[in-house]
Amino acid sequence: MTKVLVIDDEAQIRRFLRAGFELHGFTVVEAENATEGLRAATMSAVDLIILDLNLPDLEGAEVLERIRSWSNIPIIVLSIDADEHEKVRLLRLGADDYVVKPFGISELLARSDAALRRHLRGTNRDPVVRAGPLSVDLVSRVVTLDGKRVQLTRKEYTLLHGLATHVGLVVTHQQLIREIWGGHAGNIQYLRILVRKLRQKIEVDATQPQLIVSESGVGYRLDQGEAGAAHRRRGISSDTYA
Amino acid sequence: MSTLQERRELRDLTAGLPIRDGNAISARFRAAWLVLLTANAIPIGATFALVWLATVSLVVLNYFVAYNLVSLVYMLPVVVAATQWGIGSGILAAVAGAAAADFFFYPPFYSVWIRDPQNVVDLILFLLVALVTSNLAARLKNEALAVSRREKEIRELHSFSQGLATCLNSRDLLFAVQDYLSNTLRYRAVLIAAGQDDYGIDDAGAVPDEVRGEAAKLAAANASKPSTVVEVRSGRAWLVRAISSEILGYGAIAVQIGDSAGESTDVTAQRVESLLEEATLTLKHLKTKEAIEQATVDYRTEILRDALIGGVSHELRTPLASILGSCSVLNQLPTITGDSQSSELIQAIAEQAGQLDGEIRDLLDATRISADGVRPRLMWTDPTDIVSGALKQKERRLASHWVTVDVIRDVPLVHVDSTLVEQALGQLLENAAKYSPLGSEIKVSSRCEQDCVVLSVRDYGSGLNPDEKSQLGKRSFRGRGQGADGSGLGLWIASTFIAANGGSLHAESQGPNLGTTMSLRLPTMSASTPELVDALND
Repeated sequence: MTKVLVIDDEAQIRRFLRAGFELHGFTVVEAENATEGLRAATMSAVDLIILDLNLPDLEGAEVLERIRSWSNIPIIVLSIDADEHEKVRLLRLGADDYVVKPFGISELLARSDAALRRHLRGTNRDPVVRAGPLSVDLVSRVVTLDGKRVQLTRKEYTLLHGLATHVGLVVTHQQLIREIWGGHAGNIQYLRILVRKLRQKIEVDATQPQLIVSESGVGYRLDQGEAGAAHRRRGISSDTYA
Repeated sequence: MSTLQERRELRDLTAGLPIRDGNAISARFRAAWLVLLTANAIPIGATFALVWLATVSLVVLNYFVAYNLVSLVYMLPVVVAATQWGIGSGILAAVAGAAAADFFFYPPFYSVWIRDPQNVVDLILFLLVALVTSNLAARLKNEALAVSRREKEIRELHSFSQGLATCLNSRDLLFAVQDYLSNTLRYRAVLIAAGQDDYGIDDAGAVPDEVRGEAAKLAAANASKPSTVVEVRSGRAWLVRAISSEILGYGAIAVQIGDSAGESTDVTAQRVESLLEEATLTLKHLKTKEAIEQATVDYRTEILRDALIGGVSHELRTPLASILGSCSVLNQLPTITGDSQSSELIQAIAEQAGQLDGEIRDLLDATRISADGVRPRLMWTDPTDIVSGALKQKERRLASHWVTVDVIRDVPLVHVDSTLVEQALGQLLENAAKYSPLGSEIKVSSRCEQDCVVLSVRDYGSGLNPDEKSQLGKRSFRGRGQGADGSGLGLWIASTFIAANGGSLHAESQGPNLGTTMSLRLPTMSASTPELVDALND
């Protein structure tokens, strides 16, 4: 059973997280401050950490850094008023993803699943990433959409690869630019246009992207579960949103 | 003795008479004497009465006392008259006393002749001593008067500075000076303005032009010395002094000090000077105090605001996050999913809590905007992402409307803070949902214009009348229609965010009940540069 450690000083938040996670088959360990959280992280062999940034005894970013110094356990950060700079900083410090309060439990579960899967992929070496109708074989570099092969340029593939290895998780603009252009050659304008081109090849409607979703001011996310479900729910030919 | 007024009348009379011949001169002297006598009738009469009293007392005393007390007793009226009415009355008392002594008490009696030479010496000595004494007594009296006058002035100045202490600003201060001059010192004082109306004009008439001219000259030169102006028409003297231009734009103060520029001018000038000095000091003190108070208020406001932002953020939004999170868990519980009534209730709780959280966020945004303004982090952004981000943000709110999206494929990139623009567009969507009937269409579209991309939200709701259109984007604007609750800050925040991104917000409406189109105009540049094509090639 997957064990999740919730580090948050608000008892009510911990309570609903426990209920939500237990409902979906997780076991939950709670910590109400950073000290307890760090101890639990080392002692109780957890699989996933949900870390609130606003802790009474230590700054959330500091806790994140300390855990990352010895472990690569998936960490999802919770915050109530982090701006884009702060989010990018947290991702750089090693957070797998963030969720902004207030949030629904399904959003957090989706991020947690994605983070856990990415962590596991390192061990079980499944080469195929699926997101809705899209599948990306990371070894053979074959991209298919509803079973049909899609031809991508090298840069387009590198972009998709970067997103696919983090499927369901946010990848920052800078990280993608570095992976595609290397060094300082790229910039955000190139990335925007490249994303647009890739969307035109893999999205049903590039003007209403469902797979490659933008995280304003932070980066992009290859959306999987919800995106696929949304596709099915809305009907592919319709341009109606709701 | 004569008062100032009487002396003035005398001078006017003498000055008014023409000098032509000897008769005229003697007539002039007669007139002068007449005036002098009528003006001093009371002191003269009283002096004579005193001398008469002394004579009667001597007559009585001579029955009982053997000694010759004549010169001693006549000295008394001299001292009394000199101290009471000045040196003139003293001399008059001495002469009258000497005459009475000669007439009544030195043999031969009831005659001006004196038989005994000893008595002549007595009389001469008496006159000498009486003159010296009356001089001393009169001087003593003048000094006492001067002392008491000075004391009065000091008392007045003291009460004036006490009055200054209650002034709260430079305006109060200036009017206190004017009030003091006019009411306590009985001078007519006027503050002469540089541009605005003068202060202190009464019914007696306006400030003469020469005084105004002098004031302007002094104020322009920023002169520190006062100057005296004599009005040609009436001969009245004015003391004009420039005052610090820091004081409310009043350039000078003019004080009407009397009818002539005589010796009293200097004294008055000094008094006005000391007044203004006092006022200037108070002003400096006041300014420092004001600055300190302002700084304290600013500091406290800042602390309060930070506490408010931090506190509200944490203390109000965290419980709401718990409520919303708990609702989302409840909605997944098997016992709830089977019960449509419970689901609906939970849905309602979540909606209301979400709305409350939105309001709190609006308040925080508005507070931050008011405090620091908006500091956008500009970044090249695809308008497509802004549209889908805003739609995702308001997914729940738009659930009961029919949303259509019509975004052109190759819309140019825009250089904006995508988070702010996304929030602004979200607000337009929110308003569209709020002011249009459930199930009606909300159309999101984009189009390119020269140098800008326009994102529009069209609804088929209550529309706007011209008055509402002009109100739009002001703080706390709130439209009509169902569900029109909330702080009304949203649209103001949206337009502020858009303006900070170099864009603008426009509203179009065909009229009430014909729907509204709200448009965001964002600056752009053409995206297809050769460099860009190179960068994207493999």
